[in-house]
Amino acid sequence: MEQNLIVPGLAENVHEADVAEVSIKPGDTIAEGDIVLTLETDKAAMELPAEFGGKVVAVKIKAGQKVKEGDLIAVLETTAGGESPQAQTAPPAPAAATEPAPAAAPAPAAPADDATALQPVTCPDLGDGKAADVIELAVKPGDRVAEGDALLTVETEKAATELPAPFAGTVRELKVKVGDKLKTGDLVALIETASNAPQAPAAEQPAPRAEPAKAAPAAAPPPAPAPQPGAGAAPASGQMPHATPSVRRFARELGVDLAHVSGSGRKGRITQEDVQAYVKAALQGGATAGGGGLAPLPVIDFAQWGEVETVALSRIRQLTGENLGRSWPQLPQVTQHDEADITDLEAFRKAQAGAAEARGAKLTVVALLLKACASALKAFPDFNASLAPDGKALIVKRYVHIGVAVDTPAGLVVPVIREVDRKGILDLATELGDLSARARERKLKPEELQGGSFTISSLGGIGGTAFTPIVNWPQVAILGVSRAAMKPVWDGAAFAPRLMLPLSLSYDHRVIDGAAAARFSRHLAGLLEDLRTLLL
Amino acid sequence: MPEPIRTQLVVLGAGPGGYSAAFRAADLGLTVTLVEREPRLGGVCLNVGCIPSKALLHVAKVIDEAAHTPGLGFGKPKIELDAVRGQKDKVVKRLTDGLGVLARQRKVQVVHGAARFTTATTLQVDGKDGPLEVQFEHAVVATGSTPVRIAGLPDDPRVMDSTGALALADIPGKLLVIGGGYIGLEMATVYRALGSAVSVVEFMDTLLPGADADLVKPLAKKLAGEFADIRLKTKVTGIEAKKDGLHVSFEGPDGKDVKTYDRALVAVGRRPNGKDLGLEALGVTVTDRGFIEVDAQRRTAVPSIFAIGDVAGEPMLAHKAAHEGKVAAEVIAGHKAAFAPLAIPAVVFTDPEIAWAGLTEQQAKKDGIAFEKAVFPWAANGRSLTLGRDEGLTKILFDETSRRVLGVGIVGPGAGDLIAEGVLAIEMGADAQDLALTIHAHPTLSETVGMAAEVFDGSVTDIIAPKR
Repeated sequence: MEQNLIVPGLAENVHEADVAEVSIKPGDTIAEGDIVLTLETDKAAMELPAEFGGKVVAVKIKAGQKVKEGDLIAVLETTAGGESPQAQTAPPAPAAATEPAPAAAPAPAAPADDATALQPVTCPDLGDGKAADVIELAVKPGDRVAEGDALLTVETEKAATELPAPFAGTVRELKVKVGDKLKTGDLVALIETASNAPQAPAAEQPAPRAEPAKAAPAAAPPPAPAPQPGAGAAPASGQMPHATPSVRRFARELGVDLAHVSGSGRKGRITQEDVQAYVKAALQGGATAGGGGLAPLPVIDFAQWGEVETVALSRIRQLTGENLGRSWPQLPQVTQHDEADITDLEAFRKAQAGAAEARGAKLTVVALLLKACASALKAFPDFNASLAPDGKALIVKRYVHIGVAVDTPAGLVVPVIREVDRKGILDLATELGDLSARARERKLKPEELQGGSFTISSLGGIGGTAFTPIVNWPQVAILGVSRAAMKPVWDGAAFAPRLMLPLSLSYDHRVIDGAAAARFSRHLAGLLEDLRTLLL
Repeated sequence: MPEPIRTQLVVLGAGPGGYSAAFRAADLGLTVTLVEREPRLGGVCLNVGCIPSKALLHVAKVIDEAAHTPGLGFGKPKIELDAVRGQKDKVVKRLTDGLGVLARQRKVQVVHGAARFTTATTLQVDGKDGPLEVQFEHAVVATGSTPVRIAGLPDDPRVMDSTGALALADIPGKLLVIGGGYIGLEMATVYRALGSAVSVVEFMDTLLPGADADLVKPLAKKLAGEFADIRLKTKVTGIEAKKDGLHVSFEGPDGKDVKTYDRALVAVGRRPNGKDLGLEALGVTVTDRGFIEVDAQRRTAVPSIFAIGDVAGEPMLAHKAAHEGKVAAEVIAGHKAAFAPLAIPAVVFTDPEIAWAGLTEQQAKKDGIAFEKAVFPWAANGRSLTLGRDEGLTKILFDETSRRVLGVGIVGPGAGDLIAEGVLAIEMGADAQDLALTIHAHPTLSETVGMAAEVFDGSVTDIIAPKR
């Protein structure tokens, strides 16, 4: 009998892989564990072993194409069913007469005919890795399903779960029945997708298999009805979509399959307007589905629950919202929390405050933080970088321009202090004071808000123990600072009261690994704990 | 060799397919070179096919109508063969000259000579001034077809193909037409009217094997009374060219015999001219018969080369070629065109004419396509009776559920013009009521189309509708 060899689950977080090499070809005999494909994912290259052995009847995958879990790799003829190489040599009639109908799995004769239009549905990971019982079938062959429609219900030790259809189409074959046990990767059903109905791919299929498959009528299930026009062999013109030659030409120019268009004209005739409406709907549907696949937020009338007031947002807040709204869903972000013992730093700061003030500078923790961050960024240049647009390179900046988030009445403003690594602490304190003041007065020049390579957001003046700042793209990291607090710290012999500063480092995980973030945070904390290290 | 011609599109063959492709491409802004092997443009259709045969069939029609109109006595017609031939040639010249004018107006460069592909973007034309290279971006092969020759027949001017028969060298006393297809029957009709005793021999068990039997029957009945002999299921095993005539050996259901004729016309089919163009070496698929394989865009396996018309597959008809030519030109000009007709009409210009379009009963039975049929006999059509004719019939095949027109078949005078409504009905997806509710002018033969639909619809009043 024939069995479908399917791409199993690839790896955690890997949904798709490039096929680097196909190691089998029709006619090969392979054993379980033999290498079938070499795949390349963004993480690694890996070889995919066959889950079972057999003779390769057809290979459905080519090098260079992308595959995902559940894709059909090849059709193997296994000897498990007892009938070794059938019909090809044996006369079809006796074979059909003597071959007992296999009880376990219906022979997939149909997919050999036009497997390119058929997509296998496999059992997804059910959680605990154990088999689940099929307790109910929600569809039967011939049913049309939409993406997400339940195909069947399985029951694990924990719960009953519906298996949704991963894509829309017509159920051609169900491979399981009530009472079967299913485990991850098992073939559940074959669904004929509408999108790749007719045309070319059929020609690419290895021909020799088609005939023998048809010549096994005893084992083959009755052909499922194929009601959609255009899917099967050329229908008589009476069943063709009802459209005049000019409308057919119009549809052809737009690439519309008239079989999917419903006609509004007399007796269901498809008009040019129907084709236009179909295209318009398809475009709008496509637009909603795009944008990261997020469903649009519904519009809600809050006035139904009470009095409301609509207050216009400042331009700054609107822009901030846009930037953060873009950064948050597109960047995989992680926040690393740490604490720095700034007891000594604070003592130093207070001791120098008067001297600084005499020189016109207010020596703040942020000013000291700026200097420490510049030093840490020099030690960890990956944090002072941006990801190249194609995601294949890191653009490391040789300059250290640090933005400092400033709370203003109009909203969040982030002025940028340039060349932080080349400036003295008092100079930084003076510049920070100047920029903050002008930010509140809305007197910053545009260029003073641009070019930052790292950002500090300090809420220490207000309070809080920790927070998770959002990475200010195209930067790759941001340091959040909460309020320093006196805490008992075990010094090896006793608890000592120490002033601890909470540090929250959010970073773009595409660029920075967790270990690097922990090291950066520790390094920064070390600099703050002993300012003398800044001199090294 | 002279300086090569550089062109965006080269078209091989200036028949209806080739000139349509060339002119449409030129109108779409391409620079076009049209290569023709023969001295005159127009291909087989204009020079030695559709047009000259119709000029002669018109002569035959006038002779027959004069002879068979009750109450009129013109006597035996005096046939001046040179003048008949001259009129035919004049029509041909007028049309082919017109093509030259149309080509010049579109700045389509015409080159005469036989072409052969050297690469997927170059070909060589061997003309009377020597070889010439044409460098092109795209090529359309529209080289048409050639009459099939029967191996072993003597090389004698009295053994003719359709081209020879149209040349009208003389009016033979006894003419044998080998092949009962549309070409053989049309030429047989011409020579019979001009005075020849015509015999037709056909290998199959019917005349016009591709047409439905109920359409062939009235024609076969009429021809049986006009021709000297119609021999079915019979093959010609040999011809001996002797001074007293062609001694032809037959082998049929009643055994073997030999008969003598003054001339013989071999009309046993046409062979597509897909070979000897150097296409196979480039990767273009050419079948054993000589057809070039193409897709819906008429593109061959080599993306720069297209093929249309007789050489691109059945049916080998000029109007199919012309439409394919436009599709190929539009695709080459970057349009999303495809050759996807629902019906291609076929017409046999005998008397009565036979025409059909879309599904035939023969095809439906072969493919297991369900249909319902409605027939209107011309004996109930006033216009037909005024012409002195009552043998015609119009039939329509309908889809059982949608009631849309699947196919139309007509036999009778003027069937070739009447079929147009059937083709339009199929392309427009018209159903029985659409045709029945369309008012057809009275008294015309076109009423038979509307009334056949009324027969299906049950609303016919001019005959007693058969029970359905």
